[in-house]
Amino acid sequence: MSKSDLRDMTLVEAVNMALHWEMEHDETVVVLGEDIATNGGVFRATVGLKEAFGFKRVMDTPLAENLIAGTSIGMATQGLKPVAEFQFMGFIYAGMEQIVSHAARMRNRTRGRLHCPIVYRAPFGGGIHAPEHHSESTEALFAHIPGLRVVIPSSPQRAYGLLLAAIRNPDPVIFLEPKRLYRAVTQSVANNGEALPLDTCFTLREGDDVTLITWGPCVMETLQAADKLSHQGVTCEVIDVATISPLDRETLLCSVAKTGRAVIVHEACRNGGVGAEIAASIAENAFLDLQAPVVRVTGYDTVMPYYRNEDAYLPQVDDIVEAVEQVIAL
Amino acid sequence: MKTFKLPDLGEGLPEAEIVEWHVKPGDTVEVDQTVVSVETAKAIVEVPSPEAGTIAKLYGEPGDIIHTGEPLLAFEGEGGDSGTVVGELKTSGKDKKGKAGQDQFIIGAAPSSKRARANRATPGVRALAERLGVSLEQIKGSGPGGLITNDDVHRQASHQKKLGDAEPLRGTRRTMAKNMALSHAQVVPVSIFEDVDIGAWKEGADITMRLVQAIGVACEAAPELNCWFDGDNLSRRLLEEVHVGIAVDTPEGLFVPVLRDITHRSLKDLRQGLENLREAVATRKIPPREMQGATITLSNFGTMTGQYANPVVTPPQVAIIGAGRIREKVVPVDGKPAVRPVLPVSLTFDHRAATGGEASRFLGALVEALANS
Repeated sequence: MSKSDLRDMTLVEAVNMALHWEMEHDETVVVLGEDIATNGGVFRATVGLKEAFGFKRVMDTPLAENLIAGTSIGMATQGLKPVAEFQFMGFIYAGMEQIVSHAARMRNRTRGRLHCPIVYRAPFGGGIHAPEHHSESTEALFAHIPGLRVVIPSSPQRAYGLLLAAIRNPDPVIFLEPKRLYRAVTQSVANNGEALPLDTCFTLREGDDVTLITWGPCVMETLQAADKLSHQGVTCEVIDVATISPLDRETLLCSVAKTGRAVIVHEACRNGGVGAEIAASIAENAFLDLQAPVVRVTGYDTVMPYYRNEDAYLPQVDDIVEAVEQVIAL
Repeated sequence: MKTFKLPDLGEGLPEAEIVEWHVKPGDTVEVDQTVVSVETAKAIVEVPSPEAGTIAKLYGEPGDIIHTGEPLLAFEGEGGDSGTVVGELKTSGKDKKGKAGQDQFIIGAAPSSKRARANRATPGVRALAERLGVSLEQIKGSGPGGLITNDDVHRQASHQKKLGDAEPLRGTRRTMAKNMALSHAQVVPVSIFEDVDIGAWKEGADITMRLVQAIGVACEAAPELNCWFDGDNLSRRLLEEVHVGIAVDTPEGLFVPVLRDITHRSLKDLRQGLENLREAVATRKIPPREMQGATITLSNFGTMTGQYANPVVTPPQVAIIGAGRIREKVVPVDGKPAVRPVLPVSLTFDHRAATGGEASRFLGALVEALANS
């Protein structure tokens, strides 16, 4: 790729660029959601789409998530590729019935006659001083549902490549964007229309002593913890799971076989979280390689507190360092 | 960019058609300067600019319908748009130099050159080993895939009972034991020795720095010794830069931090670099990368006892220089005996990678550089 294809941008701008690219190259792609057309989306993810592609393909919907989820299914089964935005992950539950009972099962129910190439986008996670039901991380709810892919980017390049892959995927994808990272990092991204693979982890750092497994917003703190630990002579392998369902167990097990230790970091509450599934997989398949118990650093089993206490809830760099020190000691 | 949206034109009308733009991108406008003429259902209205600035972008061509509240044009510069309707988004953006970061990742698992961990054992076996005071590191597992079994632990325990407790090597000392054995198994070492008359040195000369700089000169004279040699594939790589590994003795074992690119740095810079490395070793804060990448090694044991040595070459390097204790000796000067300070130097090289002639040339250049005032 030539250097001119590279542009510096934030994660939310990369989402926007991917939408532009795919709408331009595939006329069956349509975008719908609350305030996404005229207003450009509450986080500006869809800005400029209406101007470029018109109201026919970029639709403002009523404040009705059930409608957003359901209309997308109708469109998808009839040949369109809708990319629907839920304004916040906390608003998605009104659309659950459509997503779980219909979108996720359409292929199976119709014996493959109909399928749902839908991307349900939603900003998720806390850390931006928003009210509690704007801050949750309930990815585990969707990871539990067969027929849904759950994809979580954590950098501008991965947001771009994974969103393209999600739109091109023939089945429904829950695409969760860590809003805490929306504008926190600027990196160069190539606007070349190249998708990244779904269903695979990304190894962000190589290391020998411990495997740090994370996704979404916590990737930032986990990388910082890895930096801090490297000064203590501890080298961490940092893995961004990215697609939490279906899970790329092979990459995780391969790394744990090397390091013998795993620390899982996620912002969502601990109970029944995706971390539990990963820990169980490691215990089942890499038991003999383990030098220490698998440890989780997570949010608490309570709703996200109001924002003054947000940092007390979110996993911090020192929490991760402490967990690593705990497993390294064994 | 900051966008200017089509304002309510005061007639309660939901839309207007663009008739004519009075500005184009790049134009500078004043407050209240007319930017566009639009036609509503009732009249043609001149829309004034709400602020002074430079036009970045126009949304729409003459003939396009714009709804009230939609973007009409954009000004250059950061807008008043916080990017969210609730809370605050953190923006850090670029680093201090104004450069955006690079995203680096491997799709899937990292290719690992390291074997899977040794000492595979179930927690039950680990607990047994701990109870019997046996270190798993001393055991070669007899189970499937090298798994350490209960029997292996018991066998080691009774073995230990006979021999008494041994202290398992850890950390640096363990690494030293492994590396030295590895070297001994591969390298074909040859050593040559020489005395250097250093009577010409100034008072208080920095011996290590003299040695480091002399190594730089010698590497130029015989570049075959500043080289990485691969005995498995019988290949070598002559190196342009000289990175000197400096052997440092500590209670924990041998550390060899690397002083980089010694031929292109000032003496002051090198000395500071060496001080930093020694300090990092002393406080055990030296990162692993500071001990990798040496092209040749210096073992200066002159502060202790001993004159000559056969120091061990560590692959892929091919040479190591030993410097012994300086002592006064009777040497001939202009045909007469004289008492002069003499620095004994040793050069050990891997004869698979370099010839005796090359090594001799290297040592000659080293001695000559050292003998200068």
